[in-house]
Amino acid sequence: MIRPEEAQRPYTVTELANEIRRELRPLTALLVKGEVSGMKQGAGGHYNFTIRDGVSRLDAVLFADDARRVTTLPEDGQVFIFRGRVDFFGKTGRLSFITDQVEFDDVGKLRARLEELKRRLEVEGAFAPGRKRRLPFLPQAVALITSPTGAVIHDLQETIWERYPNMGVVVYPVQVQGTAAPLSVSRALRRCNEEDLADVIVVARGGGSFEELYAFNTEVIARAILSSRLPVVTALGHTSDRTVADMVADVEARTPTEAGSRVVPKKADLIALLHERERRLDRETSQRVLRETEKLEVRRARLLQVLPALLRARTDRLAHAAANLARLSPMEQVARREESLREKARRLAASATARLTRSRNAFASRRAADRLERALTERFAIATRGLEHRRQRLLALSPDAVLSRGYSITQDAESGAVVRSASETAVDRKLRIRLATGRLAARVEQVER
Amino acid sequence: MSEQLTYEQALEKLDQKLKLLEDGDLTLEDALKAVDEARVYLKICTERLEAARKKIEIRPEPSE
Repeated sequence: MIRPEEAQRPYTVTELANEIRRELRPLTALLVKGEVSGMKQGAGGHYNFTIRDGVSRLDAVLFADDARRVTTLPEDGQVFIFRGRVDFFGKTGRLSFITDQVEFDDVGKLRARLEELKRRLEVEGAFAPGRKRRLPFLPQAVALITSPTGAVIHDLQETIWERYPNMGVVVYPVQVQGTAAPLSVSRALRRCNEEDLADVIVVARGGGSFEELYAFNTEVIARAILSSRLPVVTALGHTSDRTVADMVADVEARTPTEAGSRVVPKKADLIALLHERERRLDRETSQRVLRETEKLEVRRARLLQVLPALLRARTDRLAHAAANLARLSPMEQVARREESLREKARRLAASATARLTRSRNAFASRRAADRLERALTERFAIATRGLEHRRQRLLALSPDAVLSRGYSITQDAESGAVVRSASETAVDRKLRIRLATGRLAARVEQVER
Repeated sequence: MSEQLTYEQALEKLDQKLKLLEDGDLTLEDALKAVDEARVYLKICTERLEAARKKIEIRPEPSE
């Protein structure tokens, strides 16, 4: 029970509220870290939200004046570090955290910076698919920018050499984590381009948390990748978000194995490809040659069909010409003329005898012996002159001139026929051979046709 | 024919010649020439496959 002298006058609510405010005054310029929820803007331009950490929660307010000064507005679900003081509002009976500054906590700060970097790069077109360089189809060597120890470099080499056993590999050891990492990696990228020992670059690390991968979200590395002449493939592990390095790289692989297979073709595939081409080339060549051979064969067959007819016409013509030639040959002519002379001489002699007989008969009948004698003598003389004339012509036409050049005339001894062809005589037939001087009697020993 | 052709370029040229041959519009002389050229590209491709030499080179960061 409260005694009257001890009895206190009770606080009015306002008095107590003021007392509470006074008591809270030391809680000023505080930093509190927590996640934002229930963010909403009030009519006066201020913001109300709640800061919480999973166990406890605080109402918070950001007045309009302060809201204009802060670098970022709190967002639901994000963790921030808030600076401010705690106050009690008598009117609402609520305790509030009066925020005058909003800061990202460490990761939040990094993420915000990252978003800002991404926005800038996006505007520059750094992520545009059109900007990406094409990977070489078959590099001469692959540059690996990674930690010199660990599974990553081992996996990369293994994959590359399994696919392409004689592929060259140039390793640029770098720090892939920590504050030195951005400069280490970007320096290596620059050296790759300067030294030109490889055609393609793989930047690799074995994944990690956001903080561990932070270097690959820095502008330094992003710029180094962007300014690389050689195409860059990233393989930064499959556990985390995409980094800026992944976004600006020409090809983004998740694992070292995937990167290796993107960078290097399978040699066995290429060899199979070339063999296939070689087979097609061989087939094309042999088919072409076969086709041409067939064409030639057709022509040859046609030629063979045409040739005998052609040849026969020619040989016929030749035989004909040979016959003409024989008919026109000097020896033949001589022989022919000789024969005709002989014939004329025979007819002459016959006619002379006939006339003589007729004249002698006339004389006998008319007894005009002298006239007969005269006429006879005269006619004999004419005949003799005629004969002489013919003898001279005969001489001129006789084959003697020809014979004197070494020719001879072969006649059958019995028939006197001139032997022009071996077929006109036979073994054991007797021949007469006229030479320039004299004749030979001969016998055929052999007939060669 | 350039010795500077990459594997991919030589392969493309090889395919062009093959197509030309397989289309079959070439005269025999041109076809034989195309075959010869195709074989050169084939050879370049094969050489390119063997050109890389298995080698691992470590390029440590120069100490500052």
